[in-house]
Amino acid sequence: MSAPNCLRCLLQLRPSVALPRHLLVARSTAAIAIAWTAPFSTTTANNAKTGGGGSKDKTGGHIRAGKKIKLGKFKKNTTADRGKAPAPGERKAFRKKILLSNNNALPVPGLVDLTPEHMLDPQNAATVLSIPDAVVDQLRAVEAFKPTQCWGVFRKPSMLLRTETIDLMNRMKGAAKQKQTLRLVVTGDRITGKSMLLLQAMTHAFLNDWIVVNIPEGQELTTASTEYAAIPGSDPVRYMQQTYVLKLIQAIRKANEKVLSKLSTVQSHPELPQHIPVGSPLMQLANSAKEADNAWMIFQALWQELTARGRPPMLFALDGLSHIMKVSDYRSPAFELIHAHDLALVRLFVESLGGAGAFPNGGAVLAATSRGNSPRAPSMELALQQREAEQAKAADVPQPDPFFRGYDERVQAALRTVQVLKLSGISKLEARVLMEYWAASGILRTTVDESAVSEKWTLGGNGVVGEMERAALLTMRL
Amino acid sequence: MPPRLNLWPTCRALAFRTRPANQWSQPCIAARARSFADRTSNNNNNNNTTSSQWPEHRNADIAAGLPPSMLSKSTTPEEIDAAGFTSTENEKALSQLQLVTYGLNPFDPAVDGHKYGLPDLPLPSEMHMKHRYDPAIVQFTKLLMQDGKLSKAQRDMAIILNYLRSSPPPKINPARPLVPGSPPASHLPLDPVSYLTLAIDSVAPLIRIRAYKGLAGGGASLDVPMPLAARQRRRTAFQWILDAVNKKKSKGSGRTMFPHRVAEEIVAVVEGRSSVWDKRHIVHKLGTSARANLNHQAFRRR
Repeated sequence: MSAPNCLRCLLQLRPSVALPRHLLVARSTAAIAIAWTAPFSTTTANNAKTGGGGSKDKTGGHIRAGKKIKLGKFKKNTTADRGKAPAPGERKAFRKKILLSNNNALPVPGLVDLTPEHMLDPQNAATVLSIPDAVVDQLRAVEAFKPTQCWGVFRKPSMLLRTETIDLMNRMKGAAKQKQTLRLVVTGDRITGKSMLLLQAMTHAFLNDWIVVNIPEGQELTTASTEYAAIPGSDPVRYMQQTYVLKLIQAIRKANEKVLSKLSTVQSHPELPQHIPVGSPLMQLANSAKEADNAWMIFQALWQELTARGRPPMLFALDGLSHIMKVSDYRSPAFELIHAHDLALVRLFVESLGGAGAFPNGGAVLAATSRGNSPRAPSMELALQQREAEQAKAADVPQPDPFFRGYDERVQAALRTVQVLKLSGISKLEARVLMEYWAASGILRTTVDESAVSEKWTLGGNGVVGEMERAALLTMRL
Repeated sequence: MPPRLNLWPTCRALAFRTRPANQWSQPCIAARARSFADRTSNNNNNNNTTSSQWPEHRNADIAAGLPPSMLSKSTTPEEIDAAGFTSTENEKALSQLQLVTYGLNPFDPAVDGHKYGLPDLPLPSEMHMKHRYDPAIVQFTKLLMQDGKLSKAQRDMAIILNYLRSSPPPKINPARPLVPGSPPASHLPLDPVSYLTLAIDSVAPLIRIRAYKGLAGGGASLDVPMPLAARQRRRTAFQWILDAVNKKKSKGSGRTMFPHRVAEEIVAVVEGRSSVWDKRHIVHKLGTSARANLNHQAFRRR
């Protein structure tokens, strides 16, 4: 080990050159002066005054630096300068980008646009039909398309009508006719088409001039990624998410412009900052939401107007149910975690799904579970299994595990009366129709015969649509 | 050691036959053949009753992938009786029709007993599990691979191919000619495998420069051009492309970002915008100047 100070200096007891001149008057005082000014100091201040000794490095002449190990001496600097970094939000925008058409794909002959009647007729099960352009814009506005779906490969957004689709559309129509609310949870294995079924329900609603309110991802509301604030005067305390609600109002306005432009307000809303008299167009109310500050108040007024008597039926949909059936990541002022059902917007959905806030004009409240990205929600899973068993009139309904403490009573109460639609694989006939559509688009380059259909159907885990897409479209064997 | 005395080997010579050996001598038609999932008891126990015949039909129908609506319509035993379907000729005709719906010739001897017929021999190479992908694609995928994660690399390659087939047809630069005999640009997007192979083959260098240390005298190395095999050429070209990709700025995030950058570079190669073309040019130029070194003393045959 090397000494921090130069031994030669210590032996000669030579005052450092750094010593100020006025302290060198008497030899007797030198020792004190030395002690006082710390002549062997390694401070950079002294070093700077003396001009750094005779050594090349700037650590000082008489200071022997320890052996320094230079790490990574032979490592090349591989990080090249890549210019300007992407702007905030740009990277996420790339990730969430949705392409809906591919001009290289062939136009499919005989492909017709959907009409309201198409989705109700059982004869149309196992047919592929395309979505009209106006509806595509509306669906885009409510963010019904997901980036993981294969829209960008085909010429025009088209979808397969499954037997479950026709079934659900008929139930929605029946409920709206009787001014009742269909409350249903779509569940099923991974990539069996749950979000797609929600999209089809929204398409049906848009085609029939319903009002559509869609929450595209439940997790955006509960992962503490958007602003929140306590609603003043609420007891027990509820929380509003103004920024998200503002975005939601804008989506509602954009998607439902055709319907909303014909409607006008029937109630006065004195609590709103902007005066909106009775009888003014509903678009004016929706347009008054410009800033996040009063967005929640305007949303409440809009909701009252939309659920007033004499309005068209409404579809309220949410994807990723398990995210709102748990304790959220938000914290109260006392730093306790907030239950998701205490967030006002989530509460509105949960009450509608649970049957507390029925729509007087009829409609549907649909939720879809997600298997790819979902936190474990034991109460929700149990409740859905129970409802499924009850619907099937099974002899043994699943019972809660008596040795498990993680159940949530609020979740069980919310899901006590919902209907459950469980999706699984498509039939071989539907698979054949779908593959014929792929082949007609020039995307699947094989003959679609019985063996090809059977192969993909089997590779896709007995007709799980997403797996079939992976096996046929997203493969290296094209 | 003396061999052990045992009676059992003699039993092998005995033959116990409880049923006639040629049970399947009659030609059996595919749709009537029992599949593994069917119940065996129906066939054995009550073979004569009409009720045993309708599950067989049903199984055949399910195997044919008919929709349940059509299933329920045609296969109740009463209706079958009423239509006189129970005779063997009718069954045979029905199953032959079934084969026609599969797209098979019912009178073809190869079809008999096989649900989808026999494959044509010799089997095409892509029917082999280990050769199911295009060889060039397999090579590129393994070059994409990091840390031995092949399935991740395969997904990346699938995304690259999907990007190529959804991007507009490339505008080919006449100054950067592609491999002769390449299809027109408008045909490329719908055949992404040949699009990718064409791009790589077009920028692939013909040679590499090998430096012989000290051969030039005075410690200087002697540069000599060496020809490359087709696989080596592709490898070099794809690694150049990956180098160019790593130098590019990432515009997004998520797992599709890297394959998208690679795909953009491949489009750039076909359109003649990529810097990989310059690399190829430099190597070829060096090779042209270094070919004089092939006459060096060291390489002459004695």
